[in-house]
Amino acid sequence: MVMIMEGEKETRRTPILLTVVILAMLIMSLIALFIAIRSSLTRRTIEIEADIVNIILSVSALSLSVYLLLQMRRRTMALGLDKTRVVTVIKCASCGYGSTREFEKGDYVLREVGQCPRCNGTLLIHSIFRESKQEGKKEKF
Amino acid sequence: MSLEALSLNIQQGNLQDNVGWIFQAIWLLAFIIIWIYGQRIQTILMLKEIEGSLYRLKAMRDRGRQIAISTIREIGKPSEDPTPRVDRLLEHVDIEPVGLDPTGIIRRLEHIISVREFKLKDEVRRMAPQADEVQLNNLTNVLEVALALNQIYKVVRHYYLMGKKTLSFYIILQIQMLLPLIMKESEAFVNALRAFTLGQPIGDGVGALVAARLMYGREKRLIAHDTVVSEVDIDGRKAYVIKAKGPGGNVGKPGEAIKQILEEKEGRVALIIIVDAAQKLEGERSGEVVEGVGAAIGGPGVDKYKVEEVAAKYNVPLSAILIKEDVDDVISTMRKEIIDGVEEAINRIKRLIHENTKEGDTVIIAGVGNTIGIAQ
Ligand SMILES: [Zn+2]
Repeated sequence: MVMIMEGEKETRRTPILLTVVILAMLIMSLIALFIAIRSSLTRRTIEIEADIVNIILSVSALSLSVYLLLQMRRRTMALGLDKTRVVTVIKCASCGYGSTREFEKGDYVLREVGQCPRCNGTLLIHSIFRESKQEGKKEKF
Repeated sequence: MSLEALSLNIQQGNLQDNVGWIFQAIWLLAFIIIWIYGQRIQTILMLKEIEGSLYRLKAMRDRGRQIAISTIREIGKPSEDPTPRVDRLLEHVDIEPVGLDPTGIIRRLEHIISVREFKLKDEVRRMAPQADEVQLNNLTNVLEVALALNQIYKVVRHYYLMGKKTLSFYIILQIQMLLPLIMKESEAFVNALRAFTLGQPIGDGVGALVAARLMYGREKRLIAHDTVVSEVDIDGRKAYVIKAKGPGGNVGKPGEAIKQILEEKEGRVALIIIVDAAQKLEGERSGEVVEGVGAAIGGPGVDKYKVEEVAAKYNVPLSAILIKEDVDDVISTMRKEIIDGVEEAINRIKRLIHENTKEGDTVIIAGVGNTIGIAQ
């Protein structure tokens, strides 16, 4: 039982090929950027435009590879199973008294769980539910 | 400008030119490679993607098996190791009845289903002699989930290996297209494991929850296998409320129960209302309640057939009240939104009865679904 509650980590593999390609892209764009900047600094004559174009290209390649890396990291994080809290709602059968607590093993809906502190009526489990994670998320459609 | 600087400039220009040439060549080469081997590359990438999912599916399958074994050990206190028996059960197959001659196919299907159910429960009882009835039902559900995860894993593995062997784009495409849905379903099964081992109510049980709320505190009797009925007065009408017997994981036999009551009353029933969970479309709200007509009973179709048959025989209108939920939620622990739908469903039932029947009439209300974690 313990294993289920804490064993939420999956055997996860990082896509090696993709990582290598992205890292190579990152290094290449860094080198390109370095060369472009260096040549634009040493050369004082014409063809400055070409250097600027080179710089722009390498910067955009750089940002693209960084973005891809971040994206990949985020995806591997989202792969894990959601850990959610399960709540048991207890209500009195006679008066309106109610309380909530964490789900305990053996709980089921309509189980009698003692006496009402207010009117001595029977306390029943009214509902058991899992708390949603995406609350207040507005959809466009 | 000094001579030195000039020579440096020329050298650098040369270097730039060379680099430009090399880049052009690389581009051209890449273009040709993609042009010729594009589909092959895509196939291999797709295989890699499937492989990743397959690893996950394998982990899920192993988790299901392990949870099944450890829960049986914990609850059932077996004298011998349940592992070989569980492994054997995970490979269990059901063979559908022949459809070539459809006469009486429902009866044959029902027979196979009940044999299967009996056999599975019997196996669980053997493995877990100390388990009570409720735990037995829950354990059976856990095993069913582990079985489903095993089947899914094996089918995906089959297509993966087949694709790898043939490198056929279309074999791989088939499984790759379905993969997101398969993964979604498998994740739902893994979440179901938790709900079933702990005995928490699941989304599918929303119909049973509606029935439980209606029948609470009344006298109940068993009307069909694992199915209870209770007579409730609603708005001056006599309502027979049906649900599977909880709080163990159970779907009961709602079709048989409705048939029994209709036969008992010789068809003098003004309305049959069936409450069930229904799969929502993306974009629909979870817990939304909709109404319709017809027998809203899922599963292999035996119960649905029985209800339609008997309702048609006695000419009793069939109403359906559906509570919408996501596929993921059907077999995982019930969500708050779905519980909010229960109140709404009860109001709708009352309105339907008030509008469509007279005082003194008899109605049948059936809450369909797995009643795990919901008593009556
Ligand atoms: Zn009270």
